[in-house]
Amino acid sequence: MSDSIIVRLRRANPVPEVATAPGTELFARITALPGDSRLVASERRPQGHRRAIVLAFAVLAAVVLASTAYAVSHWLGGDVVKPPVTKREYSAAQKQLTLPPGYSWPTFRFPPDAENSVTPRGAGGGHAVMAAQWSWECYWVAAIRTHDDAAAARAHAALNALLAHNTYEAPAGAPEDWTPSPLPTQPFMVYAHDGGLEWIRAGYRLAAAGDATRIAQSCRANVPG
Amino acid sequence: MTDASDRRAAEERFQPVFSHLGAVAAYARRRGSRDADAVAAEVMTIAWRRLSDVPRDDPRPWLYATARNVVQADARRSARAAAHGAGEPGDLAPPPEIPELDPALADALRSLSRLEREALLLVAWEDLTPTQAARSLGINATASRVRLLRARRRLRARLDEASNGSHDETTHLDLETT
Repeated sequence: MSDSIIVRLRRANPVPEVATAPGTELFARITALPGDSRLVASERRPQGHRRAIVLAFAVLAAVVLASTAYAVSHWLGGDVVKPPVTKREYSAAQKQLTLPPGYSWPTFRFPPDAENSVTPRGAGGGHAVMAAQWSWECYWVAAIRTHDDAAAARAHAALNALLAHNTYEAPAGAPEDWTPSPLPTQPFMVYAHDGGLEWIRAGYRLAAAGDATRIAQSCRANVPG
Repeated sequence: MTDASDRRAAEERFQPVFSHLGAVAAYARRRGSRDADAVAAEVMTIAWRRLSDVPRDDPRPWLYATARNVVQADARRSARAAAHGAGEPGDLAPPPEIPELDPALADALRSLSRLEREALLLVAWEDLTPTQAARSLGINATASRVRLLRARRRLRARLDEASNGSHDETTHLDLETT
C-alpha cells in the first residue's frame, strides 16, 4: 500500500527506527517464569503456576454453578457457602484490611445466574486480601517511580503485614483446596507450595532495593478496578 | 518428552517471538507510551505465558494487539491517577516522552475513529499488510480493507481542509482520543 496518505504517514513516523532489543538478560528473566502450561509438561500441574492461589482466587473464579447446591456442597466436602455469605465475608474483610490512598475496593460480582453457586468458606476474605495486595503493589510502584520514600515504606510495611498475617502457604503435596485448620478469623489467602510465595517475597525484596520491575509486572497484570 | 526438553522446546519457540521486542517497544512509543520498554517487556512476558496462543508463522499482529491493551491499560491508570491528583497510585510512569507529530496530521488522525486510526497506523508505521492489521484488530480482512479505505479518504479530506490553515504548536497523538 503506497498511496500518498500512507507515504505521508510513513514519513511522519515518530519512531522510524526499531529500538535495539536488550537481548539475553530479559529473555532469560522471562523464560525463568512459568510458561504456558499448555506447552510445558512440567507446568501442567495446577500447582506449577507462580500465582496459584489455592483457595482465594482459583476456587473463587471456578465458582461452581449448581442447581443442586446440596449435592455439590457434599461433593466439595461440605464447608461451602452461597454467594451472600461470600459477599459478606468480602465486606467484613474490608474492615480489617487497608487500601492505599486513592484506591477503592473493587466490586465483587458473581455471574447473574449464580444464585445457587457455592464457594469454599473464606473465599470472600481471600478476594479482599488479593485486592489489597495488588493495590499496595501498584502504590509501591508509583512510590518508587516518584521517589516518594515515605509512600514506598508504607507500601512495603503493608505488604509485609499481609504476608505475615493474611497469607498461608499450603504444605507440600496438599490438595488444591487446602485451608488452614482451624479456619483463621482474619481474612486470608493460601498459596500453593510451588515457590510462588517465595517469588513474591523476592519481588518485594527487589522493590525494597529500588527495583520495581517485578511488582510492576504484578501490578500491570492484576491492577484492581 | 522430559520436562527439560519441553522447556527447551518452549524457549526455542519463544525465541522468534522475542526477536520482535524492539518492534513492540517502538509500537508502544509510537502510541504515546510513557514507558515503552516496560510495555514491551510486559508484552513478551504475556507472550511467554500464553505461547500457545501466539501464531507461530506471524506473531506481530498478536504482539501489537497485546501491546495495545497494555498501553491502553496504562493510559487508563494514568487517567485515574490524574483524577485523584498528582502522585496518586495510578501514576505509574515517568513523565511522557510522547512522539511529536505534525499538528495538521495529528488533528486529522484524531478525526478518525480509534479503529480506523489504528488500522491505518498498523499499516503505515508498523508495516503490516491490511490482512495482518485485521488480525491484530480482531476483525476480518474485508472489514479491515473497508476501514482502511475510509480512513485514508477521511484523512486526506481532513488534511486538504487544513492545508490553508496554520498551526504554531506541535502536538501529539493520544491513544485514548476517539
